[in-house]
Amino acid sequence: MRPVLVVAAGEWRWWLRSRLALAGALLVVGLLLAATWVTALGMQAERAERLHHQVEAEAAFRAQPDRHPHRMVHYGHYVFRTPAPLAALDPGLDPVTGQSIFLEGHRQNTAMFAATAASADLGRADTLSPALVYQWFGPLLMILLGHGLFAREREAATLGALMAQGVPGTVLVAGKALALLSAAVLLLLPLALGTMLAVAQGERPAAAGALVATYGLYLACWGALSLLVSALLRRRAAVLAALVTLWVVLALVLPAVAVSAAARIAPMPGKIETDLVMLAELRRLGDGHNANDPAFARLREDLLARHGVQRAEDLPVNLRGVVAQFAESRLTVTLNRHADAQRAAEARQAAVLARAGWFTPLVAVAEASRAIAGTDLAHHHRFLQQAEALRYGFVQGLNRVHAEQLAYADDIRRSSDSAAERRTRVDAANWQLLARFRFEPDVPVARIGRAVPPWLMLVAWLATLAAAAVWAGRRLAP
Amino acid sequence: MNARPAAPGPWAALQCEAGFALRERAVWAWWLVALALSALAVAAGLAEVKQQRATIARLVQADDADRIQALQSQKDWGSAAYHVFHLTYDPPSAFAFAALGQRDHAAWKHRVRLLALEGQIHERDAGNPVLALVGRFDFAFLAAFVLPLVLIALLHDLRAAERAAGRHDLLEATAGDAAALWRLRALLRACGVLAAALLPLAVAGTLAGAGAATVLAACGLLAAYLVFWTAVCAALAAWRQAAPVILATLLALWIVLAVVVPAAARLAIDRAIPLPSGADIVMTQREAVNDAWDLPKAATMSAFVERHPQWAADAAVERPFEWKWYYAFQQVGDQKTEPLSAAYRAGRLQRDRLAGRVALVAPPALLQRAFQALAGTDLRASLAYEDRVRAFHAALREFHYPRLFRGESFDPAAAQATLPRFVPAGDRQPGM
Repeated sequence: MRPVLVVAAGEWRWWLRSRLALAGALLVVGLLLAATWVTALGMQAERAERLHHQVEAEAAFRAQPDRHPHRMVHYGHYVFRTPAPLAALDPGLDPVTGQSIFLEGHRQNTAMFAATAASADLGRADTLSPALVYQWFGPLLMILLGHGLFAREREAATLGALMAQGVPGTVLVAGKALALLSAAVLLLLPLALGTMLAVAQGERPAAAGALVATYGLYLACWGALSLLVSALLRRRAAVLAALVTLWVVLALVLPAVAVSAAARIAPMPGKIETDLVMLAELRRLGDGHNANDPAFARLREDLLARHGVQRAEDLPVNLRGVVAQFAESRLTVTLNRHADAQRAAEARQAAVLARAGWFTPLVAVAEASRAIAGTDLAHHHRFLQQAEALRYGFVQGLNRVHAEQLAYADDIRRSSDSAAERRTRVDAANWQLLARFRFEPDVPVARIGRAVPPWLMLVAWLATLAAAAVWAGRRLAP
Repeated sequence: MNARPAAPGPWAALQCEAGFALRERAVWAWWLVALALSALAVAAGLAEVKQQRATIARLVQADDADRIQALQSQKDWGSAAYHVFHLTYDPPSAFAFAALGQRDHAAWKHRVRLLALEGQIHERDAGNPVLALVGRFDFAFLAAFVLPLVLIALLHDLRAAERAAGRHDLLEATAGDAAALWRLRALLRACGVLAAALLPLAVAGTLAGAGAATVLAACGLLAAYLVFWTAVCAALAAWRQAAPVILATLLALWIVLAVVVPAAARLAIDRAIPLPSGADIVMTQREAVNDAWDLPKAATMSAFVERHPQWAADAAVERPFEWKWYYAFQQVGDQKTEPLSAAYRAGRLQRDRLAGRVALVAPPALLQRAFQALAGTDLRASLAYEDRVRAFHAALREFHYPRLFRGESFDPAAAQATLPRFVPAGDRQPGM
């Protein structure tokens, strides 16, 4: 163990004397701190604002005066997706997905107002989060520190001297790897600090730890790659040029190529296209506003027969409300079927992209990071599903009020008779049926579970590269 | 080593240097990489644009069929307008393949109906967010981010490699004009990269039917951009340092110009120009539309008549529910949201204007914005599309108001024939 430590210490001494290594480290750490500061403040402001809007929207709904319940179905409600605490480190999909949805009867609306659409556009790389700094520039620092591990000793002719003293190649590899690993651990400190802040805001320590581990694994991959190339090529300049080329390919080109490929391999219809198919189906289901629609004739007959009456006016319940309930439930089955299919198509496309993690660790780490931070596609989909559950809940609650608390005779005359219209206004106390909505991230176990496949990819990368580095160390030549 | 003629003339020097460059395998490798990536970027862009066009074609058909279906069961203009949606869309320009820009994450298709527009126009059918987050591989991305790195790889050790090989001083001594020699070498290598990148772009531009002026402008932009990076690389290559130091410095410069300055500027601009929150826009609209149900009908109608004095004589509402009143309060809802909505639009434009100015000091951002402007995929294009949706919605209102206010009789077939149709931006659909 001692020789390994000596080698590692030697490397650190060299780095501390190298202006290149220091300047690089300073730049990356500076970027990290700045990105952490700015992103944390930004997401905190977003969280506060959306929470505020959510509370306001709930208060506005509950404070509506007495009125016809169906008016409340169309008055509708807004829900907001509040970002998770770890989103301060990896905002993930938050800026590219809509943050709020308008919920109303008979429709499932899309999430509106994505931050990117309103922001100044300064090119593809104009948003820096701590996660992106780690994903893009962490590797560069590993390369900067690691490219000279063997090559510089070769150029200074110290490698031959070391080996002549009987230090085996594997010990050299282990020592250099240890030095690089310790540098990676130091580089993770700003992230660890950020996760601690998130824990202070209610994040679970398990998720925080998993996030740090994810980036540790990622940096280790790049460290192993640097070690390997440094052991294989003779000149330091060639090592650095080769590693930078690999970085360009793995971190810049391949992820974008993978996106284009995913769009081709797993094309998905948009919402409007899905809606048009669905509308054709819905037309066959009938219009819930119109209790005389032939699609509801059977329901009406059954209801009349069950209560032994001839006319809808004699029913103990309001036929219109019953029809509205029935129609909404049937409609929602169809809406959900199409929304589920849409989400499945989206998830399929995302899965094709995620598979690119076998080709570049950047895609894998980004995937794992979003999953753990609670800003991945699964969370956005859950937001959409929870919003839908809330929508269905209050709409059917209002429809029940419609069926039970106002008379059919008044209801059918409310468009032409002002007195009847006034009698169809139900007590505002009913609006309390609206449930509270606060979007929370999944429990850590679920989030970490989704990070396992990309973790496996990273582990495979690391294992392959480390094995190759050990192999290269064995046949190390001065 | 190679023997060199002493103090060759410029033409002879060019021939000689070109010969050297062509014999270097590393130079060829980088040129081929640039060519391959450019071909890939252009192909991916073309495929995406083709997919978008196919989607639009399918949507137009399905939307037509849906409207015919929806009109059939209607009895009056009011309920027809409630149930009938109209497709609007923004077809990609012929040059969109080179820079997909806003089309990656902003909606370029909407379905609207006669209800208040503010409640509809912010809906977004915008594709998979996971894909939008990373962004597709298009030519603008390649040109702005990857090509400078190719140049850096090619040029950073222009002199350091010769120095390491011990030839540097000999070369300077034998060349008549040493500075011209390095300039020539750098330019030759850069020209190869430029040619390799432009060839697929020009071919694809011609295939896609983009105008010659657009393609030429794009070529000129890219040439200027690569000249900038060549100059930067050549300047730093002259630095008396080892190749790794020069490479790392150039990389740091790339990070600053391509990522740090744009990111910092975006933050500063977004902070400096606050926008009304989207939630406020839609909630204001919702409250206005909703309040109208409880307000005296005359209040709504007088607010409506202010904008449409021609219907003053027909504005009386006698029954608890009339369609003309219903659509009048939808319109009044939009009117109440107008200041917020206008501020939202103006703020976005203002942010974009500032971004354009800041981009002057961040060439990668400048190049991307310039390509997006050429391709019609920038923010202005997406605002122009939004304006066309608004104009179409206004036309829809102008079409319906006479029918609603005069209580004209409704006939599905006639409605299908006469309803306004959305017309997308002109001359944008060459045969693909």
